[in-house]
Amino acid sequence: MSLHVEILIAKHLKNSAFKNSAVFIITFFIGILLAYAVFSGWENYTNQNETSAKYQHESREDWLKNPDKNPHRMAHYGNFAFRKSTSLSVFEFGMEPFFGNAIFLEAHKQNTANFSEAGFSNSMLRFGEISIAMILQILLPLLIFFFGFNSVAAERENGTLKLLLSQGINWKQLLLGKTLGIASVIMILFIPTIIVLVFIWLVLQSFTISFDETIKMILFIVFHFLYLIFFCVIAVLISAFSKTSKKALISLIGIWLLFTIILPRVTQAIGAYIFEAPSKIEFNSNIEKDILKQGDSHNPNDLHYKAIKDSLLAVYKVDSVQKLPFNYSGFIMTEGEKISARIYNRHLDTLLHVYQKQNSFSRAMSFLNPYIAMKNLSMALSNTDYDSYIDFQKQAETYRYNMAQKMNALQIKYISNHKSKPALIGKDHWGEVKEFHYEPKGIRAILKNEITSVISLFLWISLLLIFIKIASKNLKAI
Amino acid sequence: MLALLFKNFIRSKGTKIGLLFLFLIGFISLLIGKQFQEKQTKNIAEAAEYQKEHIARNAAFHKAEIGLLLYYVKFSLVNKTFPINSLAIGQRDVNPSIQSVTIRGLEGQKYDSELNNPSNLLLGNIDFSFVLVYLFPLLIIAFTYNIVSEEKESGTWKIVATQTDNTFLYILKLFYIRILSLIALLTIVTFIAIFILNIPFNKSLFTFYILSILYILFWFSVCFFIVSLQKNSNFNAVILLTIWLFLIIILPATINTYIVNKYPVPEALELTLKQRNAYHEKWDMDKQTTLDKFYKHYPQFKSYTLPDKEFSWLWYYAMQQMGDDESAIQSKELETKLTQRNHASQTIAQFIPTLHTQIQLNEIAKSDLGNQLLFMQKTKEFHEKMRLYFYPKIFDNAPVEKENWSKFKVETFSDESTISFTKSFVPLLLFNLLLIGFGWRNFKRNVF
Repeated sequence: MSLHVEILIAKHLKNSAFKNSAVFIITFFIGILLAYAVFSGWENYTNQNETSAKYQHESREDWLKNPDKNPHRMAHYGNFAFRKSTSLSVFEFGMEPFFGNAIFLEAHKQNTANFSEAGFSNSMLRFGEISIAMILQILLPLLIFFFGFNSVAAERENGTLKLLLSQGINWKQLLLGKTLGIASVIMILFIPTIIVLVFIWLVLQSFTISFDETIKMILFIVFHFLYLIFFCVIAVLISAFSKTSKKALISLIGIWLLFTIILPRVTQAIGAYIFEAPSKIEFNSNIEKDILKQGDSHNPNDLHYKAIKDSLLAVYKVDSVQKLPFNYSGFIMTEGEKISARIYNRHLDTLLHVYQKQNSFSRAMSFLNPYIAMKNLSMALSNTDYDSYIDFQKQAETYRYNMAQKMNALQIKYISNHKSKPALIGKDHWGEVKEFHYEPKGIRAILKNEITSVISLFLWISLLLIFIKIASKNLKAI
Repeated sequence: MLALLFKNFIRSKGTKIGLLFLFLIGFISLLIGKQFQEKQTKNIAEAAEYQKEHIARNAAFHKAEIGLLLYYVKFSLVNKTFPINSLAIGQRDVNPSIQSVTIRGLEGQKYDSELNNPSNLLLGNIDFSFVLVYLFPLLIIAFTYNIVSEEKESGTWKIVATQTDNTFLYILKLFYIRILSLIALLTIVTFIAIFILNIPFNKSLFTFYILSILYILFWFSVCFFIVSLQKNSNFNAVILLTIWLFLIIILPATINTYIVNKYPVPEALELTLKQRNAYHEKWDMDKQTTLDKFYKHYPQFKSYTLPDKEFSWLWYYAMQQMGDDESAIQSKELETKLTQRNHASQTIAQFIPTLHTQIQLNEIAKSDLGNQLLFMQKTKEFHEKMRLYFYPKIFDNAPVEKENWSKFKVETFSDESTISFTKSFVPLLLFNLLLIGFGWRNFKRNVF
């Protein structure tokens, strides 16, 4: 099969694309914006990661510098989990500005992730951010529509469509040719952007790339490419079905607004409206109530802890906790930490379940709206999506729990039950708690999680192919 | 003539669908606002109930030592949510409207964030301000982009030109009926809002309404100007949508990035590390040195001397105090940076009507960064008040049961800062006049 005719049509469209001065100006501005997005993304990323690395290191040094002391004091001294970004987040900020950047990790207490960029902003952030992903996902589709609205409709209006068709060109060739034409114009912006993107991505990782990161990058590029191509197809199809180019333009603008601005917000708002999440006060007081129900480790007469004490005394055949061969309060705190962490995690899971239900609307909508599918996928690939954030918080909580229990274990082992002896252990033990290290989700987990987005994108592609087929048969020249 | 033009306009299917759509989404935004309002009210009621139970339970439990009791007890301060807040939720979803603090170090508690689903935050609320700032302009563009150009393209313009003595007046009338319909829609939604959300008739509501009208007029002025260039409909549609895109997404986002990079806040993280060390290191230091620093801050407590014991609450709270005192510089610095951010964004926003309107609406609704900063400051004062009240009692080891614990109710901070008409209205007014002026000149030159 020769694509000679298609290429001819495409070339013709490409040559006349910039005749509309408004479109030329817009393309030029988007070019500048792309440059700006690269620059600010880079700055954002390096700032975020340098700060986070700096304070992660500093807090580690502080931790190690502590003199000999009671391990429980150290558990309260605590550690920090600072969030780090992955290299793809230079191009896709996702939800990052709304994530807390630091969590204080201490015994008995699960703290919130604090200091999000959004908390320090004057609601300007709500207008969106300029990132490469935003330009690729929102602005380029609009530009495609601006290029494509008159691709067929204008030919119909001025009568050249009849000429074309009577010269032996069929509808399929025409539609494909026009699509190729718009795509080739868009590639003028897309290809340089991708080259710069890959280069920056390589620099950021000092040219030592992991397999995982490479797959993510390739998928990021491929999916954005496909996404843009099917906006080209939509533009040509709508233009072919419209009587006038004006009608085509208005329909396309309507589709764009619906896909990128209105539907995403509305679906999320519906989710949030139907599934109401508890407030912090409610959440915390429910946890407190449950912990009290389980038993209070501070209360000597508490049934739960009294039972533990009695069984310990029975097993070790002693009459008081002072005579136990290990530190009793350390043992009780281990138990307390276990119980409170379990209760907290149970409540957290319930809360996260509510959030997931809120998000489920958007997720389902990705079948109707390719923008949402693309957005979810690109956020997942750059680890700036909802799941990555929850993952970060969970890793921090696991670290917190292990740290607290490690300190309790040290107390059980080394601290005497007798008040008269100094309740200290050597500072060399502090190094036994490893530094917090956040491991972003791998590609396998991401794809598994985003399977709906991937499926919906492929469904969209096949749907459009079918549309071209149907359209080729049913379209009329007049 | 006017009546006929109006009939012609309202009879079109597109007009009806557009107006109905905007009305519906406006109404939905009010429902979302209503839900937000109910949630806030519920939270405050819960906070009051919770604080009562929480204090009573702890007071019954830690009877022996008031110092230990106050280690646990939390007191809450509420940032009052006015009914009008539901129209512009602003930053109130990110930042907590209730701060619960113990009298221990404040810096470790002050920045605790609200529980949130980041997906909701990313996409933002569909509150009324969103409908006004984002969607009203789209309908205005849809209603006006083809004025004159459509008639020229279909060939009816010549008929109009020969049948009316003053074509410019005719164009003005076309705009007039469109402006009236949208202002009518705004007024209807505002009235429903007043009814549903119980918004009192006051200066805030008045400013909100006038600002909304000026904003709508701004977009009509933009369209008027573009129409006055007398290009074809397609050009108008493309250029107006691009202007919308610039004013709604691109410029605000660019400015946001600029401000974030101009005033970075590494102080936030430095502050947390600093306050942690400042407090914890005191456990391993000479007690008297810590106390001397404490006396320097609060000379009135000099009479309480360090008891000859391994542990004392005087020493403990002095250590906690040092966490705050020694991170005060960073805390102040952070506050200054945020104030600068707020100031810079307000100043720049004056030149970008969309941003200006959003920020002003939030300011009127007390949901902007300024309100948050004020609330933080009030939290500090509230915390200090509780501290100073309890310090002498702790140092004297006053009996727990002597204190009337039920008197510690949740307190409320009500932001009464007033809105300046000049600051709110003048930038929009100037833009409107400028655009109408230029549009007028273009028409005078070309139409006739």
